[in-house]
Amino acid sequence: MTAKFTRTARVAVGIMAFTALSGSALAEDVFMTMLVSNNPSNVATAEAAVAAYMKANPNVTIEIETRPGGGEGDNIVKTRLATGVMNDVFQYNGGSLFQAINPQQNLLPLTDEPFMADIQESFKSVVTAGGEVFGIPNGPAMGGGILYNIPIYEELGLEVPKSWDEFMANNEKIKAAGKDAVIQTYGDTWTSQLFVLGDYFNVSAAEPDFAERYTAGEAKFADSPAAAKGFERLQEVFEGDYMNEDFGAAKFPEGVRKIAQGEGAHYPMLTFAIGAIKDTYPEHVDDVGFFAQPGDSTDSNGLTVWMPDATYIPKSTSNPEEAKKFVAFLASVEACKIRNEAVGATGPYLVKGCFPPSDVPPVVSDMLPYFEEEGRNGPALEFLSPVKGPALEQITVEVGSGIRNAADAAALYDQDVRKQAMQLGLPGWK
Amino acid sequence: MSLIRRHWLSVVAILVSFVVFVIPFIFIVLTAMKDKRQSALLDFSWPEKFQLWENIVDVITTRNWQLLTAFINSTILTVASVTLLVVFAAMVGFVLQRRRTRWNGLINFLILAGLMIPPAIVPTIWLLQAMGLFAKLHGLILIEVAYHLPFSILLYRAFIATIPKDLDEAAIIDGARPLDVFFRIIMPLLWPVTVTNIVVQSVTIFNDFTNPLYYLPGRGNETVQLTLYNFQSQFNTSYHLLFTNILLITIPPLIVFLFFNRQIVAGVTAGAVKG
Repeated sequence: MTAKFTRTARVAVGIMAFTALSGSALAEDVFMTMLVSNNPSNVATAEAAVAAYMKANPNVTIEIETRPGGGEGDNIVKTRLATGVMNDVFQYNGGSLFQAINPQQNLLPLTDEPFMADIQESFKSVVTAGGEVFGIPNGPAMGGGILYNIPIYEELGLEVPKSWDEFMANNEKIKAAGKDAVIQTYGDTWTSQLFVLGDYFNVSAAEPDFAERYTAGEAKFADSPAAAKGFERLQEVFEGDYMNEDFGAAKFPEGVRKIAQGEGAHYPMLTFAIGAIKDTYPEHVDDVGFFAQPGDSTDSNGLTVWMPDATYIPKSTSNPEEAKKFVAFLASVEACKIRNEAVGATGPYLVKGCFPPSDVPPVVSDMLPYFEEEGRNGPALEFLSPVKGPALEQITVEVGSGIRNAADAAALYDQDVRKQAMQLGLPGWK
Repeated sequence: MSLIRRHWLSVVAILVSFVVFVIPFIFIVLTAMKDKRQSALLDFSWPEKFQLWENIVDVITTRNWQLLTAFINSTILTVASVTLLVVFAAMVGFVLQRRRTRWNGLINFLILAGLMIPPAIVPTIWLLQAMGLFAKLHGLILIEVAYHLPFSILLYRAFIATIPKDLDEAAIIDGARPLDVFFRIIMPLLWPVTVTNIVVQSVTIFNDFTNPLYYLPGRGNETVQLTLYNFQSQFNTSYHLLFTNILLITIPPLIVFLFFNRQIVAGVTAGAVKG
């Protein structure tokens, strides 16, 4: 009896000692994986940051796995979260797409982490659900507005427009000079939305409470003269015949080529396009400038801002503490410096103490003044309201191609949005 | 005059196959030789600067020689799945064709259901996780076998119907056991349809994109089709590297076809005459 007991005890002690040993061994050698989207500059940044972190923490190994963007990427992220196999750290959009991955159930809250104090409030608002903050910014903010070709502006003696009328006057002169005034690339339908989405600063200047009333189902694009303007502007550009001949078939890379090489003068786009210009046409980086989409009056000229993707930790991670340490590093000033070195700056950072380097391309330096003054920038509607209709890009292609008129399009978009709002179960929609 | 009348159809056929098959391939080769800037134009032009070798080195070494791992994974996946498919499908087809029971209707229904009903991803992953097969290469092999089995069974069953039953009976009278009948008498006769099966299924499985994407996550688990995403993203695509990658992963199946060309053609035509 006693002999048997001691033997069992010995075995038990042995097992306990073994697990204790292997337990401490695990704590020393940490292995984590990180899922990043496969955008080249994004992969380069992630690789540089991981290399620096692993050098500083030799016991940690982090592997980077890439995923496609767009709808395929949404599916991968949702599938992995649903099946509990999400990587220890992953990147995904903020705003309305973030709300769709059920953050309170799937993600680790980071609200009380010390590094959160350095993240700008404007960014926190797009990764907050149920009072908890879940992500840190992955890269700098982007502006949505109009890229312009500087040599064409110099050649024709044009000024950067501050109002929509000035913009159209410039277009007329550029057209008279025999150049394409506005580049449109409907082969990639998402590029068609910029005139509508980038106009949101002007909408909010005219109707400051538009986003709230819009979410509540009270404000509509069709009823609000300010909001309907976005569609009208797209129609005006089509009616003025300012667009490149192949606007229906051209794709985003061709738009980038046209604006960089001066085949066209204006390209409504997000400022991240500078990354593609730098990659493919490095000698033309200084030929492309940027201005916010002008509104009705020169007095209220401001920029519509897009927030970058965020980095999150899923609840399913086996190493929450180590993952948090790594995320803290990604949210540090050091990580911004690594990014500046790896891919250069594409816009202002959202972490306190982070600055783009002094020798930024004109697109970025043109964007900075909008951030220096209060009230000259505001987030895009998709970050203020969870409601964004899935068919907007198809509708804007129709308006931009002259198939549908602006008023009709605004009304159609309101119907499209209604389905989305009802799916989300928002109050006030039926 | 009569020459034109006699041969115009062949000339048209050759022209059509040239436009459909050869021109796209030439486009791939040309783009794979270009530098990033010229390839971004996506036009049919002569490369200004030849850098095929640099592109190949770039593609193979990207993300820590990922393409090599991917080739190994894809080869194992294709060979293993196709072997299992051929053996199992031939067995099922044989039994189903030779032995009439009241279960045949139900089995046929299940086979057709496998062809018609699309599999759901998330529940399949739960099942794989419960069995410890998720994110494992052999798990994906079983998935590929399961998804492609119905089609192979249909091919085999139709072909076995053309083999006279007298052959089995003669073999049984001579003392062959059931497995002997199948492996030594029937299986060799099935060679034509087996070749068809191998060709069709290995092309499908080698080119499969979505199943590895969802069922085989994790670094070191990539298959060749997934490496395409290294060079293609939503906002920025390196067409020269993308097309070099396409070229590299098109070559192995092409070599297989060149090697087995005669057997494949012989197999397909033999099947046609008998079927």
